[in-house]
Amino acid sequence: MLSKKQAIEVLNAALKTGGDYAEIFIQETHSSSYSIENGKVEAVTDTVGLGAGIRILKELQSVYGYTNDVSKNGLLALANSLSASYSGKQTLFIDNLKVKKVKNIHPHLRPHAEVDPKEIIAYLKKGEEAMRISPKIVRTKSGLSHYNQYNTLINSKGFIFKDEKERGRAVLMCVAIDGEKIETGHNAPGASAGFEFFEQNVDIVKLGKETATSALTMLEAKECPSGKMPVVIGNGFGGVIFHEACGHGLEASAVSKNLSVFAGKLGTQVASKLVTAYDDGTIVNAWGSNNIDDEGNKTQKTVLIENGILKSYLIDDFNGRRMGMKGNGACRRESYKFEPTSRMSNTFIANGTSTPEEIIKATKLGLYAKSLNGGSVNPATGEFNFGCSEAYIIRDGKICEPVRGASLIGSGAEILKHIDMVGNDLERAQGMCGASSGSIPTDVGQPTIRVDEILVGGNGGELK
Amino acid sequence: MRFNEKKFFELALANKFEAADVSFSHSKSTSCSIFHREVDSLTVSDSYSLTARGIYNGKFGTVAVSKIDKDTPQFLVDSIIRSASLVETNNPSIIYKGSEKYHKKNVFNKEVISSDINEKIELLKKIEDKIRAYDKRISEVATVGYDESFDESSLSNSYGLKLKSKMASYAFYAEVAAKEGDEVKTGFKVFVSLDPKEFDMDKFAEEVAKDAINKLGGTQCKSKKYPTVLKPNCVSALLRAYLSNLDAEEVQKQSSLFIGKLHQPVASKKLTVIENNLEKNVFYSYYDDEGVAMNKKFLIKKGNLETYIYTLETAAKDGVEPTGNGVVGAKVKAGLGCIYVKPGKKSFNEMISPIKEGVYITELEGLHAGMNAKSGNFSLQAQGFMIRDGKLAEPLSLITVAGNLVEVFNSIKEIANDVSLEMSQTSSPSILIKKLAISGK
Repeated sequence: MLSKKQAIEVLNAALKTGGDYAEIFIQETHSSSYSIENGKVEAVTDTVGLGAGIRILKELQSVYGYTNDVSKNGLLALANSLSASYSGKQTLFIDNLKVKKVKNIHPHLRPHAEVDPKEIIAYLKKGEEAMRISPKIVRTKSGLSHYNQYNTLINSKGFIFKDEKERGRAVLMCVAIDGEKIETGHNAPGASAGFEFFEQNVDIVKLGKETATSALTMLEAKECPSGKMPVVIGNGFGGVIFHEACGHGLEASAVSKNLSVFAGKLGTQVASKLVTAYDDGTIVNAWGSNNIDDEGNKTQKTVLIENGILKSYLIDDFNGRRMGMKGNGACRRESYKFEPTSRMSNTFIANGTSTPEEIIKATKLGLYAKSLNGGSVNPATGEFNFGCSEAYIIRDGKICEPVRGASLIGSGAEILKHIDMVGNDLERAQGMCGASSGSIPTDVGQPTIRVDEILVGGNGGELK
Repeated sequence: MRFNEKKFFELALANKFEAADVSFSHSKSTSCSIFHREVDSLTVSDSYSLTARGIYNGKFGTVAVSKIDKDTPQFLVDSIIRSASLVETNNPSIIYKGSEKYHKKNVFNKEVISSDINEKIELLKKIEDKIRAYDKRISEVATVGYDESFDESSLSNSYGLKLKSKMASYAFYAEVAAKEGDEVKTGFKVFVSLDPKEFDMDKFAEEVAKDAINKLGGTQCKSKKYPTVLKPNCVSALLRAYLSNLDAEEVQKQSSLFIGKLHQPVASKKLTVIENNLEKNVFYSYYDDEGVAMNKKFLIKKGNLETYIYTLETAAKDGVEPTGNGVVGAKVKAGLGCIYVKPGKKSFNEMISPIKEGVYITELEGLHAGMNAKSGNFSLQAQGFMIRDGKLAEPLSLITVAGNLVEVFNSIKEIANDVSLEMSQTSSPSILIKKLAISGK
């Protein structure tokens, strides 16, 4: 590992052509994955990665490089090749570095790597078996991946941060078949914690049954009707709608270049008064949490929207330069192979006052999107789309027949204004969010909400 | 640090491995992008990764590393033993002795990576200027970027098989926004190639600008079923999802739309699809991750399913030859390579001329959420144009197109002859589908 003296040498090489900030990010990752299919262990795989990235900033420019050669010579060569992109004289000199202790606020009590693999396998088999509730369930799979990451961030502000994290995520998947119809069920809980998270918080048998039931229900489903209609979106993963429709548009990478529909809108009404939303990277053991962000700033609980008013963006120090604002702990990346930038952590709409029952009861004719399976957004136009993995028609205030193949589309700025009921059953769910700095763990979340009108796409004709 | 392959194979055999293999990949890349004529990002990289597999007590163990030192061979062997010892399935575990013939071609052109990055930055500035000058409705050029990379890989095993490949490629990309009144639309384009001479800056700038401008003024059409023309990129999205069902593992495990469909019709007789990775382009490859030679083959011939795609394991289960589609991850899967849809006879204009009222879809979004390739159901956000009286009419935006892949490919009315020359893993002309459900207002 790089000594303090060597790190100083590398930083000075990075800054020698006038860069005003430089950082070295060294990352070692140990991960393992298990997969079980139809009662048997199918594969177990270990991965060990080691690499480093160097970033040099000069005003509004950035250069980034990465390598697997983390020796002093490897990093010096990288720093020299990167600094050659700038022409100027060194203005910032590093002569000392101070270790800044990073407090681990996400304890892992039973590190996965120390748990007997047989115990993990037995747990996964229980979940896999629980999905076999009908002869129509023809295929069942379960799996678990976990990793430990040891990150060292050394920057020209004179600090060395050493951070360690552990994450684990289980997955349950099944395929249900009836004649020519095929449907799938899927659930994947995870946390920034050790195996104790699964033992204490995830009833894998119950989750297995739910996963299979959802696939069987969708086998019975008719094609979803299409057109504009009121939509009640279920809690938990339903929050992906806020993540896509609004969250990405609040990232400094888009806002700083005026490429977001939310640029220049701080302090203005951007959502219905019922909407208050947060991004909170400090939630203990949550999937999207971190101790510090990838610029060494402490993670925060940031109010994004309060009673419909836009309060804050998600800012990294570099994009913050263009905006004249400071980073708020939102700078993240997948690994050393990515230059870090502003990203979400655990992003959710806060509880309102209605019960989920009241929301359904108040809806005469519309769609109940119980769970969504992801979506995407174009931050510049705000146009988004989501697919529903489980959905029903609401008739006269009651949840009625299931429908398949439903998608929700619209514009983020519009939909936020059309949220007319917010429930009191906030839940968070885990996802992977992909953007320029790679695929990172994030939580989405919300209570049950109702949007008075969304365009629903489906193959089932008009809603009657 | 160089990996000591010989030592790994010696240790593997000393530990009673039946066989072992190692695949190694090394990439070097340089990329840069500009914003408002200034470099806002420049990235260089030099990285490698290594995956080792071994058969121990009849079971596969797999390990991947990007940390290589003198202890790596021993670490790999220990890790393979650990993982193989936990495996319980009785699937055939095979490391390949090699194909009779490999179609190896030299696609490496060193001109691509010996270029001067500063020249490229100047070129990016010119592209930005050209895009801005193209139309006054271009409100922002979000990014113009260039990326070049050198990739080399090798696969070797304890039977003495050794396969190598190397390639250098480059790409230009740009993202722009066009604005009219309060309406903003974006355009995006990527150009990828192995030959530096192929890039035409003027054409590229024009196409990305047009991509955004043509979407302005988009409205929503009335929700109903329309005759629908799919642009090649949209055919690609739907066809690749449909053909993901070709994976023999999914068929063997009863979760594919193509169960029992071998040599049976799975699409309109007008559809013929060939898989071929041997053309000299950025997708060129002559062996798969398991070392099986790649060959040109029919997937669908006049609507009939010609073959499933196999790994060594699934081929052994079905008693057939592997097809060169193996992709090694935690487990080996069969993956689809480059596919070519056989063009028809009519031009695009001839194909749309009899359509009184129809929809031309130019972009599909949300494929990872709105597409269920297993059930074949999809419901996707789309953009495009109305077709009225045989001609393209007003732009459409924020519409959805929904259907089922089986129905779509069985109801092809016409395949045009306008094969797109853009580099992509799917080469296809535009296709007219009898009817698709479009939702708008």
